[in-house]
Amino acid sequence: MSVHNPGSLDALIDALKCLPGVGPKSAQRMAYHLLQRDRKGAQKLGEALLNALTALRHCARCNTFTEAEVCERCLSPKRDGKTLCVVETPVDMNMMEQTLAFNGLYYVLMGRISPLDGQGPTQLGLDKLLQRVDDGVVEEVILATNYTNEGEATAHYLSELLKARGIKVSRIARGIPVGGELEYVDPGTLAQALRERRGVER
Amino acid sequence: MHRGKVDGQPAYILHTYPFRETSLIVEAFSRDFGRVALVARGARRPRSPIRGLLMAFQPVELAWSGKGEVLTLMKAEWVGGQPLLGGHALFCGYYLNELLLNLLPREDAHERLFLAYAQTLRRFAEGVQEADLRRFEKALLQELGYGLWLTEDADGKPVAEEGWYAYEIERGPVRLARQGQSPLCISGRALLALARDDFAEPRLLAEAKQLMRALMAHYLGGETLETRRIFKELQEL
Repeated sequence: MSVHNPGSLDALIDALKCLPGVGPKSAQRMAYHLLQRDRKGAQKLGEALLNALTALRHCARCNTFTEAEVCERCLSPKRDGKTLCVVETPVDMNMMEQTLAFNGLYYVLMGRISPLDGQGPTQLGLDKLLQRVDDGVVEEVILATNYTNEGEATAHYLSELLKARGIKVSRIARGIPVGGELEYVDPGTLAQALRERRGVER
Repeated sequence: MHRGKVDGQPAYILHTYPFRETSLIVEAFSRDFGRVALVARGARRPRSPIRGLLMAFQPVELAWSGKGEVLTLMKAEWVGGQPLLGGHALFCGYYLNELLLNLLPREDAHERLFLAYAQTLRRFAEGVQEADLRRFEKALLQELGYGLWLTEDADGKPVAEEGWYAYEIERGPVRLARQGQSPLCISGRALLALARDDFAEPRLLAEAKQLMRALMAHYLGGETLETRRIFKELQEL
């Protein structure tokens, strides 16, 4: 771009590019929108960002973002501390919560193992998970990492790690979606559902 | 450099990484064009139809078009027949991909290596045998033109079963008076077993592994493979 913007405008555009899925064009659009049409919103955004940065930290137990030392969910007496569900991101945790099917506690990895991106187990900081699992209450760990190769690799590594400590480990199931018709399911999913078929309980 | 359109090309995805706002760069290993880098436009959108298809270790058929450096992925189709890898096999798969990404030059056809790769993945699905890894490493070196001297020593004499050799890269095995200490020291028996792809004897397989590791380290130019580090961490559990 040969346009000469004032320095602070360029700095804003540049800063906005750090958002996922935002390139130079979107960043420029956002910057102009904030400055031209929504200065109040911009003010709010700036304050919220700074506030979040200082107020939020990782929960000492589940590793998700929280303002307190330990998050509300981990402190809730209604949750069952015997099952611990391991997910990759806070978004995944929210999805699990929406199901209303799980009343245990969580651990958020904040990442995954991806060897070809240089993301090994060391970078994930699994000591914290091991400490969490060793609290004497956890009986079963449910691995709910993604069904991508990276998620599977992460699940495998974690299962080896946890089994060595005598903890029961399970993995969420995969296959045909609920309400799914075979005709419209992608062949890869169908093939795997067939390979992982299970006996019908009486 | 080929131009124009390619359709229905058998391939495997080696790796993908984000590109621009919603796209992916796909590193694929194709049968007739070798390793290619393709831009998959919009592949990172939530409802993108090819999102789940661009997954490593699964045979796919790709169509792409373009000229020059940038090739655009037009289509990806699922082929099937390869169970998804899990557990240890998955890490071994990553190892193969890391080797290919590091050693295979772009746009250089290696059909035999492609077939060897496909076969290795199919075997991995039934459980990883060390021998499969060695066979693939050997095929990779041969295809890249770093052929191995296994049946003749550096002086042109046939390798003797009972002899000990120091394997010199680019020269071949040099006969030693007795067993040496270097990682490139290997028995004549192991060299001949490697030549025959015969990995029945665990001791010879271990020797072959040591030799291959040293050769790979040499051709990788000192780069440490991430997968090897993870293997180590897994073993230490």
